[in-house]
Amino acid sequence: MSSMTRWIGLLSDPKNLETYQRYVETIEPKIGAFLEFDPRRGLTESSAEGPLKGVPFAVKDILAVKGFRLTCGSRILEGFVSPYTATAVEKLQQAGAVVVGKTNMDEFGMGSSSDTSFYKRTNNPWDLDRVAGGSSGGSAAAVACGLVPFALGSDTGGSVRQPAAFCGIYGLKPTYGVVSRYGLVAYASSLDVVGICASTVEITAEMFTHIRGKDDRDQTSVEPPVKAWGNEGAERQVRRIGVVTGNLGLEAGVERAYKTTQEVLRSLGYEIEPVELSMLEYYAPVYYTIAMAEASANLARYTGIRYGYRPEYAENPEELVRKARSEGFGDEVKLRILLGTYVLRSGFQDQYYQRAQRIRTAIRKDFDRVFHEVDVILSPVFPTQAFRHGAEGLDPFQQKVADRFTTAANLAGIPALSFPAGLEGGLPVGFQLMAPVFAEDLLFQVARRFAGVVPPPKAPTNTSPWS
Amino acid sequence: MDLQELRITAALAYLELDEEEYEKLEGAVDQMLQYFSKMMEVDVSDLPPTTHALVRENRTRPDDVLPFTDTDSLLENAPETEARFIVIPNIL
Repeated sequence: MSSMTRWIGLLSDPKNLETYQRYVETIEPKIGAFLEFDPRRGLTESSAEGPLKGVPFAVKDILAVKGFRLTCGSRILEGFVSPYTATAVEKLQQAGAVVVGKTNMDEFGMGSSSDTSFYKRTNNPWDLDRVAGGSSGGSAAAVACGLVPFALGSDTGGSVRQPAAFCGIYGLKPTYGVVSRYGLVAYASSLDVVGICASTVEITAEMFTHIRGKDDRDQTSVEPPVKAWGNEGAERQVRRIGVVTGNLGLEAGVERAYKTTQEVLRSLGYEIEPVELSMLEYYAPVYYTIAMAEASANLARYTGIRYGYRPEYAENPEELVRKARSEGFGDEVKLRILLGTYVLRSGFQDQYYQRAQRIRTAIRKDFDRVFHEVDVILSPVFPTQAFRHGAEGLDPFQQKVADRFTTAANLAGIPALSFPAGLEGGLPVGFQLMAPVFAEDLLFQVARRFAGVVPPPKAPTNTSPWS
Repeated sequence: MDLQELRITAALAYLELDEEEYEKLEGAVDQMLQYFSKMMEVDVSDLPPTTHALVRENRTRPDDVLPFTDTDSLLENAPETEARFIVIPNIL
């Protein structure tokens, strides 16, 4: 029976709604997953019928939900209330699911810890001294401690998959363009996708079928070829799994779990073949060049004039804009805007942005080559498990270098699924499967069989009677 | 990047930074540019640029009017208004 069963109808019954709110009130103060929590408001926007009737879900605060605030974790959007709803959210509401709140995140999605949020920090449900990951840390934490069965996030370079791995849940980054981005605040437009954090493979796959599909309101959205989604799972069977090898620089616990995961997959009858991704060492530099360039353009819209944070006093409109941006953006965002502006400056474009886009072509070609030999690819998500908050954790530069495994899927546009692979030292470890474009079903297929042997772990803070 | 370049870049990005911030950011910016320079190792002469992973062609749509009626919800987000106008500092 689907693990969703106990959640269905939960919020439609006033008595159960109260029980649910009480549960959230006992857990949430320890975790800090939400920036705003109001299931009653969410109920007014959802269909009273449908397969997901009364099912609570959370939305990363980078996706628009009418009537809820939309801050992106930034001071510059303080107090902004969204006048409309993102397509992905709307589709779930039409199926009966209810937005219970907006989740914490790194400012504008820029970070791997959720600690760059202007508003609060989110703690890992497995160890409150550690980060939940990022940038969709609030969404992943809310799922891991049983506040919701699933949550929406966004993934520009690993922002759904890395927190999912840190929290012991599933994180899907779909094929670029398959889920509408209407209502997703733009970070790096050629890389951004809406993703899903969920407690089981079944829920991940089910929610994906709800939110995918072409949308006239998103010019980059695509309808995959019919064949790709016809008879899901019935036509194509994964036989060969390519395992990324080489000097990967993994922490000891992650390394151990990586080997065990390969053994489990072999025992399930898969052919395990080592593959070398020849462009691996260029992923992160290429990714950050492109992401920062696009971010600097996308974030030019925040001026403090029509909405958002406005400084106390400004002499003239130009000063107003400069002050709004300087007081409204945090350090990490400023760094990325500066670098992005620099690499797009006349005279530097060829050296940086253009070059990165050309290497991106080589990265795509490299994946084409590998997918000729294997059906899916297994790789680490992050070289470490959840790190500690503050100075004992990873510094901002180390965090960026550590994005080398996740950024590949965004650069190539291919789907990737982060799945829990047991515990090491009491903390979850996750790995990712990558597949050719539109082949999300292959990811679910393998993850489902893996979960039959290694079921997803349950965080100690998760005492939810529904999950 | 020297400090002068950093100042020009900040001005282009409409960011006003104090000396302390310049000091902090200068190191971080250099560290990243150093990291980006790894890309110089790759021979890119035969590689066309990828601008989007899947979208190859330019897409257009009919230029139709789609009315948005809830304009109040937009104005409510403005930091300062006066009778449906957004207030900004004097231009002159």
